[in-house]
Amino acid sequence: MRHFKTLIKKECIEEISSSRGAALYLAGCGVLSVFSLLLVSNTELSLLDNAQAVYMMSAIIIALALLIAVIRGSDGFAGERERETLELLLITPVSPAEVAIAKLMGLIFSWFVVFVLSIPYLWAVGSTGQNLIPALEYLFISGTLLVVIFGGFSLALSARMKTFKGALSIGLTAFLLSGSPILLGPSLRQSTVGRFIDLINPFANALNMLDSVVVDSLGVLFQIIPLAILIFYTIAAIWVLSMTTRRVEL
Amino acid sequence: MKKSYVLCLNFLILLIIAGNSHADGTPFIHVSIQAPTGALKMGDRPVFKGVVKNSGQRNLQGLVVYLSLVSLRPGHEHPVDLEDWSAQKAVRIDQLVPGETNRQDWPMRLIQAGRFGVALTIVDPLENRSIVSDLVSFKIQPKPTVASGRILPVAIGEPLLLLIFFGLFHWIHTRSRRLMKDVQIQELLHERKL
Repeated sequence: MRHFKTLIKKECIEEISSSRGAALYLAGCGVLSVFSLLLVSNTELSLLDNAQAVYMMSAIIIALALLIAVIRGSDGFAGERERETLELLLITPVSPAEVAIAKLMGLIFSWFVVFVLSIPYLWAVGSTGQNLIPALEYLFISGTLLVVIFGGFSLALSARMKTFKGALSIGLTAFLLSGSPILLGPSLRQSTVGRFIDLINPFANALNMLDSVVVDSLGVLFQIIPLAILIFYTIAAIWVLSMTTRRVEL
Repeated sequence: MKKSYVLCLNFLILLIIAGNSHADGTPFIHVSIQAPTGALKMGDRPVFKGVVKNSGQRNLQGLVVYLSLVSLRPGHEHPVDLEDWSAQKAVRIDQLVPGETNRQDWPMRLIQAGRFGVALTIVDPLENRSIVSDLVSFKIQPKPTVASGRILPVAIGEPLLLLIFFGLFHWIHTRSRRLMKDVQIQELLHERKL
Protein backbone atom coordinates (compact mmCIF):
# COMPACT_ATOMS: atom_id res chain seq x y z
CA MET A 1 0.00 0.00 0.00
CA ARG A 2 2.89 2.34 0.86
CA HIS A 3 4.47 1.78 -2.55
CA PHE A 4 1.14 2.31 -4.23
CA LYS A 5 0.72 5.65 -2.44
CA THR A 6 4.27 6.64 -3.40
CA LEU A 7 3.48 5.80 -7.02
CA ILE A 8 0.31 7.93 -6.97
CA LYS A 9 2.29 10.81 -5.44
CA LYS A 10 4.97 10.46 -8.12
CA GLU A 11 2.37 10.47 -10.91
CA CYS A 12 0.65 13.57 -9.48
CA ILE A 13 3.90 15.51 -8.99
CA GLU A 14 5.03 14.57 -12.49
CA GLU A 15 1.84 16.14 -13.87
CA ILE A 16 3.04 19.54 -12.67
CA SER A 17 6.81 19.24 -12.57
CA SER A 18 7.33 17.88 -16.09
CA SER A 19 7.82 20.46 -18.81
CA ARG A 20 5.25 18.67 -20.97
CA GLY A 21 2.64 18.98 -18.22
CA ALA A 22 3.40 22.67 -17.79
CA ALA A 23 3.16 23.20 -21.56
CA LEU A 24 -0.24 21.48 -21.67
CA TYR A 25 -1.65 23.62 -18.84
CA LEU A 26 -0.27 26.79 -20.39
CA ALA A 27 -1.75 25.84 -23.77
CA GLY A 28 -5.09 25.13 -22.06
CA CYS A 29 -5.00 28.51 -20.33
CA GLY A 30 -4.16 30.12 -23.67
CA VAL A 31 -7.19 28.52 -25.34
CA LEU A 32 -9.51 29.67 -22.52
CA SER A 33 -8.03 33.19 -22.70
CA VAL A 34 -8.52 33.38 -26.47
CA PHE A 35 -12.11 32.20 -26.17
CA SER A 36 -12.94 34.61 -23.36
CA LEU A 37 -11.38 37.48 -25.33
CA LEU A 38 -13.55 36.43 -28.28
CA LEU A 39 -16.57 36.73 -26.01
CA VAL A 40 -15.69 40.36 -25.36
CA SER A 41 -14.54 41.40 -28.83
CA ASN A 42 -17.13 39.60 -30.98
CA THR A 43 -20.44 41.50 -31.11
CA GLU A 44 -22.59 38.40 -31.50
CA LEU A 45 -20.82 36.50 -28.74
CA SER A 46 -20.78 39.49 -26.37
CA LEU A 47 -24.58 39.60 -26.56
CA LEU A 48 -24.83 36.00 -25.44
CA ASP A 49 -26.64 35.30 -22.27
CA ASN A 50 -24.31 34.61 -19.34
CA ALA A 51 -25.61 31.08 -18.96
CA GLN A 52 -24.96 30.38 -22.63
CA ALA A 53 -21.42 31.75 -22.32
CA VAL A 54 -20.81 29.60 -19.22
CA TYR A 55 -22.11 26.53 -21.08
CA MET A 56 -19.85 27.18 -24.08
CA MET A 57 -16.87 27.77 -21.80
CA SER A 58 -17.65 24.55 -19.88
CA ALA A 59 -17.76 22.57 -23.14
CA ILE A 60 -14.32 23.90 -24.08
CA ILE A 61 -12.95 23.09 -20.59
CA ILE A 62 -14.23 19.51 -20.86
CA ALA A 63 -12.77 19.14 -24.36
CA LEU A 64 -9.41 20.42 -23.10
CA ALA A 65 -9.44 18.09 -20.10
CA LEU A 66 -10.25 15.12 -22.33
CA LEU A 67 -7.52 16.04 -24.79
CA ILE A 68 -5.01 16.16 -21.92
CA ALA A 69 -6.37 12.85 -20.56
CA VAL A 70 -6.03 11.17 -23.97
CA ILE A 71 -2.48 12.49 -24.52
CA ARG A 72 -1.29 11.60 -21.00
CA GLY A 73 -3.19 8.30 -20.99
CA SER A 74 -1.66 7.22 -24.31
CA ASP A 75 1.75 8.01 -22.86
CA GLY A 76 0.98 5.97 -19.70
CA PHE A 77 2.39 2.57 -20.67
CA ALA A 78 3.45 3.02 -24.32
CA GLY A 79 5.57 6.05 -23.41
CA GLU A 80 7.26 4.19 -20.54
CA ARG A 81 7.86 1.29 -22.94
CA GLU A 82 9.47 3.61 -25.52
CA ARG A 83 11.63 5.32 -22.90
CA GLU A 84 12.60 1.82 -21.63
CA THR A 85 11.43 2.64 -18.10
CA LEU A 86 8.49 0.21 -18.06
CA GLU A 87 10.64 -2.70 -16.90
CA LEU A 88 11.80 -0.66 -13.90
CA LEU A 89 8.21 0.22 -13.11
CA LEU A 90 7.05 -3.38 -13.32
CA ILE A 91 9.74 -4.73 -10.99
CA THR A 92 8.54 -2.43 -8.20
CA PRO A 93 6.47 -4.21 -5.53
CA VAL A 94 3.18 -3.04 -7.07
CA SER A 95 1.05 -4.95 -9.56
CA PRO A 96 0.58 -3.66 -13.14
CA ALA A 97 -3.08 -2.98 -12.32
CA GLU A 98 -1.98 -0.81 -9.38
CA VAL A 99 0.43 1.03 -11.70
CA ALA A 100 -2.50 1.64 -14.06
CA ILE A 101 -4.70 2.92 -11.21
CA ALA A 102 -1.88 5.20 -10.02
CA LYS A 103 -1.57 6.58 -13.57
CA LEU A 104 -5.33 7.09 -13.70
CA MET A 105 -5.10 9.00 -10.40
CA GLY A 106 -2.46 11.19 -12.03
CA LEU A 107 -4.89 11.93 -14.86
CA ILE A 108 -7.65 12.78 -12.37
CA PHE A 109 -5.24 15.09 -10.55
CA SER A 110 -4.44 16.69 -13.89
CA TRP A 111 -8.19 17.30 -14.41
CA PHE A 112 -8.41 18.90 -10.96
CA VAL A 113 -5.63 21.31 -11.98
CA VAL A 114 -7.48 22.16 -15.22
CA PHE A 115 -10.71 22.63 -13.25
CA VAL A 116 -9.05 24.97 -10.73
CA LEU A 117 -7.43 26.93 -13.58
CA SER A 118 -10.79 27.27 -15.33
CA ILE A 119 -12.72 28.65 -12.32
CA PRO A 120 -11.55 32.29 -12.82
CA TYR A 121 -12.61 32.15 -16.49
CA LEU A 122 -16.06 30.81 -15.61
CA TRP A 123 -16.41 33.44 -12.91
CA ALA A 124 -15.38 36.22 -15.32
CA VAL A 125 -17.83 35.05 -17.94
CA GLY A 126 -20.84 34.17 -15.86
CA SER A 127 -20.81 35.56 -12.34
CA THR A 128 -23.53 38.12 -13.14
CA GLY A 129 -25.81 35.49 -14.65
CA GLN A 130 -27.65 32.54 -13.27
CA ASN A 131 -26.52 28.98 -12.54
CA LEU A 132 -22.79 29.56 -12.08
CA ILE A 133 -22.57 27.37 -8.96
CA PRO A 134 -24.59 24.48 -10.49
CA ALA A 135 -22.43 24.86 -13.61
CA LEU A 136 -19.27 24.41 -11.51
CA GLU A 137 -20.76 21.42 -9.66
CA TYR A 138 -21.92 19.61 -12.80
CA LEU A 139 -18.73 20.50 -14.66
CA PHE A 140 -16.70 18.95 -11.84
CA ILE A 141 -18.83 15.78 -11.72
CA SER A 142 -19.13 15.23 -15.48
CA GLY A 143 -15.49 16.21 -16.08
CA THR A 144 -14.22 13.75 -13.46
CA LEU A 145 -16.31 10.90 -14.91
CA LEU A 146 -15.27 11.73 -18.49
CA VAL A 147 -11.59 11.92 -17.58
CA VAL A 148 -11.85 8.47 -15.96
CA ILE A 149 -13.62 7.15 -19.08
CA PHE A 150 -11.27 8.62 -21.70
CA GLY A 151 -8.15 8.33 -19.55
CA GLY A 152 -9.02 4.75 -18.60
CA PHE A 153 -9.56 3.63 -22.19
CA SER A 154 -6.41 5.49 -23.35
CA LEU A 155 -4.35 3.79 -20.63
CA ALA A 156 -5.81 0.39 -21.56
CA LEU A 157 -4.93 1.04 -25.19
CA SER A 158 -1.48 2.22 -24.19
CA ALA A 159 -0.90 -1.02 -22.25
CA ARG A 160 -1.59 -3.04 -25.42
CA MET A 161 0.07 -0.84 -28.04
CA LYS A 162 3.79 -0.93 -28.66
CA THR A 163 4.24 2.75 -29.46
CA PHE A 164 3.00 6.02 -28.00
CA LYS A 165 2.18 7.34 -31.49
CA GLY A 166 -0.06 4.35 -32.22
CA ALA A 167 -1.95 4.68 -28.93
CA LEU A 168 -2.23 8.45 -29.35
CA SER A 169 -3.58 8.28 -32.92
CA ILE A 170 -6.32 5.82 -31.93
CA GLY A 171 -7.11 7.83 -28.79
CA LEU A 172 -7.34 11.11 -30.70
CA THR A 173 -9.56 9.54 -33.36
CA ALA A 174 -11.93 8.28 -30.66
CA PHE A 175 -11.83 11.72 -29.03
CA LEU A 176 -12.71 13.47 -32.30
CA LEU A 177 -15.54 11.02 -33.01
CA SER A 178 -17.00 11.56 -29.57
CA GLY A 179 -16.58 15.32 -30.03
CA SER A 180 -19.40 15.20 -32.59
CA PRO A 181 -21.75 17.23 -30.34
CA ILE A 182 -19.38 20.17 -30.73
CA LEU A 183 -18.81 19.59 -34.45
CA LEU A 184 -22.44 18.91 -35.36
CA GLY A 185 -25.12 21.54 -35.02
CA PRO A 186 -28.27 20.98 -32.91
CA SER A 187 -30.41 20.37 -36.03
CA LEU A 188 -28.23 17.45 -37.19
CA ARG A 189 -28.31 15.96 -33.71
CA GLN A 190 -32.11 15.98 -33.63
CA SER A 191 -32.42 13.23 -36.26
CA THR A 192 -32.95 9.63 -35.10
CA VAL A 193 -29.33 8.74 -35.83
CA GLY A 194 -28.13 11.92 -34.13
CA ARG A 195 -30.22 11.23 -31.03
CA PHE A 196 -28.95 7.65 -30.88
CA ILE A 197 -25.33 8.82 -31.17
CA ASP A 198 -26.01 11.39 -28.46
CA LEU A 199 -27.44 8.69 -26.21
CA ILE A 200 -24.44 6.37 -26.49
CA ASN A 201 -21.82 9.10 -26.56
CA PRO A 202 -20.56 9.96 -23.06
CA PHE A 203 -19.21 13.35 -24.22
CA ALA A 204 -22.64 14.27 -25.66
CA ASN A 205 -24.35 13.14 -22.46
CA ALA A 206 -22.10 15.38 -20.38
CA LEU A 207 -22.75 18.36 -22.68
CA ASN A 208 -26.51 17.77 -22.74
CA MET A 209 -26.47 17.57 -18.95
CA LEU A 210 -24.58 20.88 -18.70
CA ASP A 211 -26.95 22.44 -21.23
CA SER A 212 -30.03 21.42 -19.30
CA VAL A 213 -28.54 22.55 -15.96
CA VAL A 214 -26.90 25.81 -17.03
CA VAL A 215 -29.09 27.05 -19.89
CA ASP A 216 -32.48 25.47 -19.18
CA SER A 217 -32.16 25.51 -15.35
CA LEU A 218 -33.57 22.00 -15.09
CA GLY A 219 -33.30 20.10 -11.82
CA VAL A 220 -31.40 17.00 -10.79
CA LEU A 221 -34.24 14.67 -11.82
CA PHE A 222 -33.59 15.50 -15.48
CA GLN A 223 -29.92 14.57 -15.08
CA ILE A 224 -30.45 10.99 -13.87
CA ILE A 225 -30.26 9.31 -17.31
CA PRO A 226 -27.10 11.10 -18.59
CA LEU A 227 -25.47 10.61 -15.18
CA ALA A 228 -26.35 6.89 -15.21
CA ILE A 229 -24.85 6.55 -18.72
CA LEU A 230 -21.66 8.34 -17.62
CA ILE A 231 -21.37 6.13 -14.52
CA PHE A 232 -21.90 3.02 -16.67
CA TYR A 233 -19.05 4.08 -18.99
CA THR A 234 -16.85 4.91 -15.98
CA ILE A 235 -17.31 1.43 -14.52
CA ALA A 236 -16.69 -0.09 -17.98
CA ALA A 237 -13.48 1.95 -18.41
CA ILE A 238 -12.13 0.87 -14.99
CA TRP A 239 -13.03 -2.75 -15.72
CA VAL A 240 -11.36 -2.68 -19.17
CA LEU A 241 -8.28 -1.02 -17.65
CA SER A 242 -7.98 -3.64 -14.88
CA MET A 243 -8.45 -6.48 -17.38
CA THR A 244 -5.91 -5.20 -19.91
CA THR A 245 -3.27 -4.43 -17.30
CA ARG A 246 -3.37 -7.82 -15.60
CA ARG A 247 -0.44 -8.76 -17.76
CA VAL A 248 1.64 -6.03 -19.34
CA GLU A 249 4.18 -7.06 -21.92
CA LEU A 250 7.46 -5.21 -22.24
CA MET B 1 -84.28 41.44 -69.73
CA LYS B 2 -81.70 39.06 -71.06
CA LYS B 3 -78.92 41.26 -69.68
CA SER B 4 -80.46 41.46 -66.21
CA TYR B 5 -80.98 37.69 -66.27
CA VAL B 6 -77.28 37.14 -67.01
CA LEU B 7 -76.29 39.60 -64.27
CA CYS B 8 -78.54 37.85 -61.75
CA LEU B 9 -77.08 34.51 -62.75
CA ASN B 10 -73.53 35.86 -62.35
CA PHE B 11 -74.41 37.31 -58.95
CA LEU B 12 -75.90 33.98 -57.90
CA ILE B 13 -72.78 32.12 -59.04
CA LEU B 14 -70.59 34.63 -57.19
CA LEU B 15 -72.68 34.19 -54.06
CA ILE B 16 -72.37 30.41 -54.29
CA ILE B 17 -68.58 30.64 -54.84
CA ALA B 18 -68.19 33.17 -52.04
CA GLY B 19 -70.36 31.07 -49.76
CA ASN B 20 -68.37 27.95 -50.52
CA SER B 21 -65.02 29.64 -50.06
CA HIS B 22 -66.20 31.12 -46.77
CA ALA B 23 -67.29 27.69 -45.58
CA ASP B 24 -63.91 26.22 -46.58
CA GLY B 25 -61.81 29.15 -45.42
CA THR B 26 -63.47 29.77 -42.07
CA PRO B 27 -61.21 28.17 -39.47
CA PHE B 28 -63.08 26.14 -36.90
CA ILE B 29 -60.14 26.63 -34.57
CA HIS B 30 -59.18 30.07 -33.41
CA VAL B 31 -55.65 30.55 -32.22
CA SER B 32 -53.92 33.62 -30.91
CA ILE B 33 -50.83 34.55 -28.97
CA GLN B 34 -50.26 37.59 -26.83
CA ALA B 35 -46.91 39.20 -26.07
CA PRO B 36 -46.28 40.50 -22.55
CA THR B 37 -46.72 44.19 -22.02
CA GLY B 38 -43.82 46.50 -21.18
CA ALA B 39 -40.29 46.79 -22.48
CA LEU B 40 -38.35 43.59 -23.02
CA LYS B 41 -34.60 43.25 -22.80
CA MET B 42 -32.09 40.45 -23.25
CA GLY B 43 -32.04 37.94 -20.42
CA ASP B 44 -35.70 38.59 -19.49
CA ARG B 45 -38.03 35.64 -19.09
CA PRO B 46 -41.42 36.84 -20.30
CA VAL B 47 -44.41 34.53 -20.63
CA PHE B 48 -46.39 34.66 -23.87
CA LYS B 49 -50.05 33.68 -23.54
CA GLY B 50 -51.56 31.37 -26.11
CA VAL B 51 -55.29 30.76 -26.61
CA VAL B 52 -56.84 28.01 -28.72
CA LYS B 53 -60.61 27.91 -29.16
CA ASN B 54 -62.73 25.29 -30.87
CA SER B 55 -65.34 27.33 -32.74
CA GLY B 56 -66.59 24.43 -34.82
CA GLN B 57 -69.13 21.67 -34.16
CA ARG B 58 -66.65 18.82 -34.18
CA ASN B 59 -64.84 17.35 -31.20
CA LEU B 60 -61.11 17.93 -31.77
CA GLN B 61 -58.56 15.42 -30.59
CA GLY B 62 -54.77 15.26 -30.52
CA LEU B 63 -54.12 18.86 -31.51
CA VAL B 64 -50.48 19.84 -31.65
CA VAL B 65 -49.67 23.47 -30.89
CA TYR B 66 -46.18 24.72 -31.54
CA LEU B 67 -44.38 27.98 -31.23
CA SER B 68 -42.51 29.69 -34.07
CA LEU B 69 -40.11 32.56 -33.71
CA VAL B 70 -38.71 34.68 -36.53
CA SER B 71 -36.15 37.41 -36.51
CA LEU B 72 -37.57 40.49 -38.24
CA ARG B 73 -34.34 42.45 -38.43
CA PRO B 74 -34.48 44.28 -41.78
CA GLY B 75 -32.35 42.48 -44.32
CA HIS B 76 -31.66 39.57 -41.96
CA GLU B 77 -35.10 37.97 -41.58
CA HIS B 78 -34.80 34.33 -40.63
CA PRO B 79 -36.49 31.67 -38.49
CA VAL B 80 -34.94 31.32 -35.06
CA ASP B 81 -34.03 27.95 -33.56
CA LEU B 82 -35.85 27.80 -30.22
CA GLU B 83 -33.20 25.48 -28.72
CA ASP B 84 -32.02 28.02 -26.14
CA TRP B 85 -35.03 30.34 -26.15
CA SER B 86 -37.64 28.03 -24.81
CA ALA B 87 -37.69 24.71 -22.98
CA GLN B 88 -41.31 24.25 -24.13
CA LYS B 89 -41.57 24.31 -27.88
CA ALA B 90 -44.83 22.42 -28.40
CA VAL B 91 -47.87 21.18 -26.48
CA ARG B 92 -50.45 18.55 -27.28
CA ILE B 93 -54.10 19.16 -26.52
CA ASP B 94 -55.75 15.80 -25.96
CA GLN B 95 -59.29 16.98 -26.55
CA LEU B 96 -61.09 20.22 -27.30
CA VAL B 97 -64.87 20.00 -27.30
CA PRO B 98 -66.94 22.54 -29.31
CA GLY B 99 -66.85 25.95 -27.69
CA GLU B 100 -64.01 25.02 -25.33
CA THR B 101 -60.95 27.25 -24.93
CA ASN B 102 -57.49 26.04 -24.04
CA ARG B 103 -54.94 28.49 -22.66
CA GLN B 104 -51.21 27.88 -22.56
CA ASP B 105 -48.22 29.70 -21.12
CA TRP B 106 -45.17 29.94 -23.37
CA PRO B 107 -42.24 31.02 -21.20
CA MET B 108 -39.26 32.27 -23.17
CA ARG B 109 -35.78 33.42 -22.33
CA LEU B 110 -34.70 36.31 -24.50
CA ILE B 111 -31.30 35.50 -25.92
CA GLN B 112 -30.77 38.07 -28.66
CA ALA B 113 -31.63 41.69 -29.20
CA GLY B 114 -33.69 42.91 -32.13
CA ARG B 115 -37.20 42.77 -33.53
CA PHE B 116 -38.85 39.38 -33.49
CA GLY B 117 -42.18 37.86 -34.39
CA VAL B 118 -43.89 34.99 -32.65
CA ALA B 119 -46.78 32.84 -33.83
CA LEU B 120 -48.59 29.70 -32.81
CA THR B 121 -49.35 26.94 -35.30
CA ILE B 122 -51.99 24.25 -34.77
CA VAL B 123 -51.94 20.91 -36.45
CA ASP B 124 -55.15 18.93 -36.41
CA PRO B 125 -54.39 15.31 -37.35
CA LEU B 126 -57.67 15.08 -39.29
CA GLU B 127 -57.05 18.18 -41.39
CA ASN B 128 -54.63 18.58 -44.26
CA ARG B 129 -53.68 22.16 -43.41
CA SER B 130 -52.37 23.83 -40.32
CA ILE B 131 -53.79 26.95 -38.72
CA VAL B 132 -51.46 29.77 -37.83
CA SER B 133 -52.17 32.65 -35.49
CA ASP B 134 -51.42 36.27 -36.29
CA LEU B 135 -47.76 37.14 -36.03
CA VAL B 136 -47.13 39.12 -32.85
CA SER B 137 -44.05 41.26 -33.10
CA PHE B 138 -41.99 42.47 -30.17
CA LYS B 139 -38.68 44.21 -29.64
CA ILE B 140 -35.84 43.07 -27.40
CA GLN B 141 -33.47 45.73 -26.13
CA PRO B 142 -29.76 44.79 -26.17
CA LYS B 143 -27.87 44.16 -22.97
CA PRO B 144 -24.13 43.44 -23.14
CA THR B 145 -23.99 40.57 -20.69
CA VAL B 146 -20.37 39.53 -20.87
CA ALA B 147 -18.49 42.07 -18.78
CA SER B 148 -15.16 42.92 -20.37
CA GLY B 149 -13.95 44.50 -17.13
CA ARG B 150 -13.63 41.09 -15.52
CA ILE B 151 -12.58 39.05 -18.54
CA LEU B 152 -9.53 41.06 -19.60
CA PRO B 153 -7.61 40.74 -16.28
CA VAL B 154 -8.33 37.01 -16.13
CA ALA B 155 -7.58 36.32 -19.82
CA ILE B 156 -4.25 38.12 -19.69
CA GLY B 157 -3.32 37.68 -16.02
CA GLU B 158 -3.86 33.96 -15.55
CA PRO B 159 -1.52 32.67 -18.30
CA LEU B 160 1.11 35.16 -17.11
CA LEU B 161 0.78 34.01 -13.50
CA LEU B 162 0.94 30.38 -14.60
CA LEU B 163 4.05 31.10 -16.66
CA ILE B 164 5.71 32.76 -13.65
CA PHE B 165 4.65 29.85 -11.39
CA PHE B 166 6.04 27.17 -13.70
CA GLY B 167 9.17 29.22 -14.33
CA LEU B 168 9.83 29.59 -10.61
CA PHE B 169 8.98 25.93 -10.00
CA HIS B 170 11.47 24.75 -12.61
CA TRP B 171 14.12 27.20 -11.44
CA ILE B 172 13.80 26.01 -7.82
CA HIS B 173 13.66 22.38 -8.96
CA THR B 174 16.82 22.58 -11.12
CA ARG B 175 18.61 24.67 -8.47
CA SER B 176 17.89 22.17 -5.71
CA ARG B 177 19.03 19.32 -7.97
CA ARG B 178 22.26 21.20 -8.74
CA LEU B 179 22.79 21.82 -5.02
CA MET B 180 22.17 18.15 -4.28
CA LYS B 181 24.76 17.19 -6.91
CA ASP B 182 27.27 19.65 -5.42
CA VAL B 183 26.71 18.17 -1.96
CA GLN B 184 27.16 14.64 -3.34
CA ILE B 185 30.40 15.64 -5.13
CA GLN B 186 31.72 17.28 -1.97
CA GLU B 187 30.85 14.19 0.04
CA LEU B 188 32.67 11.99 -2.50
CA LEU B 189 35.71 14.26 -2.41
CA HIS B 190 35.61 14.22 1.36
CA GLU B 191 35.44 10.41 1.40
CA ARG B 192 38.41 10.19 -1.00
CA LYS B 193 40.44 12.55 1.17
CA LEU B 194 39.75 10.33 4.14
